[in-house]
Amino acid sequence: MWHRWQSRHAPYLFISPFLILFVLFWGYPLVQSLRLSLFATSGPNSEVFVGLDNFHFLLRDPDFHLAVKNTLVYAFFAVGVQLPLSLGLAVLLNRRGLRLPNVFRFVFFSPHLMGTVFASVLFGLIFAPRFGVFNRVLHLAVGLPMNTRWLGDANLVMPAIILLSLWLNVGFYMIYFLAALQGVRQDLYEAARVDGAGPWMRFLHVTLPGIWPVTLFVLVISTIGSFRIFELPWLLLQNTTGPDQSGLFVVTYLYQKGFEAADLGYASAIGWSLTASLLVLTLAQLRFGGMARGVN
Amino acid sequence: MSWLRDKLVEVLPIGFAPTVMLVIAVAAGGYLLAVDREAKKPDLTVWTFSNTHFDAFRQSVPDFQRRHAPLEIDLQLVQYRVLDRRLRSAMWAGLDVPNLVELNFNRAGTFFRGPIDKVGFIDLKPFLERTDSTGMRYLDRILPSRLAAYTNRGRIFGLPHDVHPHAVAYRRDIFQAEGIDPDAIRTWDDFIKVGHLLTIPDKRYMIQLDDTGVLSFEALLLQRGGGFFDAEGKLMIDSETAVRTLLWFVPLVAGPDRIADNPASQGQAFYKAIGDGYVLSFLCPDWLTSKIEMNLPHLSGKLALMPLPAVTPDGRRTTVRSGTMLGITTKTPDPELAWALATYLYFDRARVGQRFRATNTLPPNRDAWDAPAFHEPKAYWSGQRIGELYIALAGQVPTQYSSPYQELAAEKVGQVIAGACAYYRLHGKDGFESFVRGRLNQQARAVRIQMQRNPF
Repeated sequence: MWHRWQSRHAPYLFISPFLILFVLFWGYPLVQSLRLSLFATSGPNSEVFVGLDNFHFLLRDPDFHLAVKNTLVYAFFAVGVQLPLSLGLAVLLNRRGLRLPNVFRFVFFSPHLMGTVFASVLFGLIFAPRFGVFNRVLHLAVGLPMNTRWLGDANLVMPAIILLSLWLNVGFYMIYFLAALQGVRQDLYEAARVDGAGPWMRFLHVTLPGIWPVTLFVLVISTIGSFRIFELPWLLLQNTTGPDQSGLFVVTYLYQKGFEAADLGYASAIGWSLTASLLVLTLAQLRFGGMARGVN
Repeated sequence: MSWLRDKLVEVLPIGFAPTVMLVIAVAAGGYLLAVDREAKKPDLTVWTFSNTHFDAFRQSVPDFQRRHAPLEIDLQLVQYRVLDRRLRSAMWAGLDVPNLVELNFNRAGTFFRGPIDKVGFIDLKPFLERTDSTGMRYLDRILPSRLAAYTNRGRIFGLPHDVHPHAVAYRRDIFQAEGIDPDAIRTWDDFIKVGHLLTIPDKRYMIQLDDTGVLSFEALLLQRGGGFFDAEGKLMIDSETAVRTLLWFVPLVAGPDRIADNPASQGQAFYKAIGDGYVLSFLCPDWLTSKIEMNLPHLSGKLALMPLPAVTPDGRRTTVRSGTMLGITTKTPDPELAWALATYLYFDRARVGQRFRATNTLPPNRDAWDAPAFHEPKAYWSGQRIGELYIALAGQVPTQYSSPYQELAAEKVGQVIAGACAYYRLHGKDGFESFVRGRLNQQARAVRIQMQRNPF
């Protein structure tokens, strides 16, 4: 009897710590944020039911539209440049005969170890006009004016953020690609060579299909990461959205509304719209990625 | 032993190790519940975001503790942004809310949002109407313009820490070398004329002004009698005064004839630009003088202050921007004790004098201004009595009203400034006025839409 009770209930007891924490710190806030998105709030203690008004307002809120536009531009360039660069570096570092490959791997990966917060503060100084290292190098290399204001000119803020993001993340994603490249079967390359395939054809028909699952994974996580960008521009621009709100992103806007303006309801609506967009985008990526793999 | 363990494994449904962990967790939890942690709490907790205030308070608190013994005061220095988040979280959760807290003007308004009876600070009006030991009402001692900054819907939620009159700090050594007499600069027109003489494009500019945000513009708008909000909380960023001020301001910072540059509005880049002589002057509120002394010690005797140039010959020679308030939170069990500490820290004559020596910040209680500390010459500022200068300007300080939408309005005006500067660089005066009006109206509409969404 006791043993039957044990075998029936023991699994539930084992998963109960996780389940309790999951419900308490994930499930409850999730449901609560969905509920809050239907209220106008001033902190959690003052609220007025407004139905779907928060979501309606999102559709005509120019600041939200700007945040979405900036996020899309950032995601497009960050992911679009980041992935080929990471893959290119991985291919280079995976070549046989390369001297000190581990040193190069560490060099390219090390910016990621620094962390976004520290890197953002550091690049605030590197991008400084007149005496910043970045301007100094560009001035010597291409004659760019020393007082170029990377963080003070609305047109230059986005390139500065993308550059910093690339510097931080290219090496990180390179590691994924390196691991994937090392898993591609060597006999396939031999066979391709025998069939007369050149380096480009081998890359296209052997390497790429071989690393496709990892590529898809990196694409999905880097896209999600790009849409969730917050601390990098927020710290780089010293807790502001930059000149002409050129550094306003969706999560920054959510943060401003929720934690600076105390409008948790509207912030929840922004959060849910971001979640829904990411869900659709990720499903699309997985679907088209899967189809592409099928074609390959 | 192994026999016991085997038996336990057999008996216990979740196994030996998880049971041990469970027992430890229950014992630790039980201990925490059993021990009276409330007993260890200090009588008063004070949060401040300013290290200079923290240092000054740290010197004053022991004496107050002695007078009210036994009394334990927990004074905490919390970074500006972190304080904002911690206070909001504490108020929302109703846990570990400090008793007294200093807030910056820009953030204060956001804490006054929502139903008036749910604001987390107590109304200080009844306390301020009391008389002190000299028979004077606190309300009469404080500069009225500074109280207005923390008044919301008729209630006063904060005690002002400062006046923050603005002067212009300038490189006295370079002015002297160029033969410029700062006393002859009385209006902005005079200042701009001198600016054209001293400015060498890309090498040296007459003044540092912020062309991407509102730091400079808001101060200059207030000098002209404008502001972002009026006493009733009505938005005024598209007022005629705002339009006129922006039309005047942009050519100072953009276009071929500009006399201002903005290497940085704060931090080391700002200090370096002054140290290098890249910018010859800057708008200088009282508090900034102590930061300048700290960050540019080698400029001792090379800098001086002059009143802000007036808009018209008989106009206001100063302005204001921002400030700090001290609030008593509604969670405070003994508001009388908190009030006693607040008045001791802010209004005690001996203390404010000491504080001025350390921070150069002018307190809003006028009765303290005759203390010797406010009349001493400062060697760093070329021997000027900067206390006297700021006191002379304090009476003209305009009123700046707080609002929960202060930062939103500032962000929108910042957008207009950035856009107007870009427009002016490209097109000059052609269509500039209609562009400025259009952008200000557009951004004002955006702020009003957000304000109208507030149902409280």
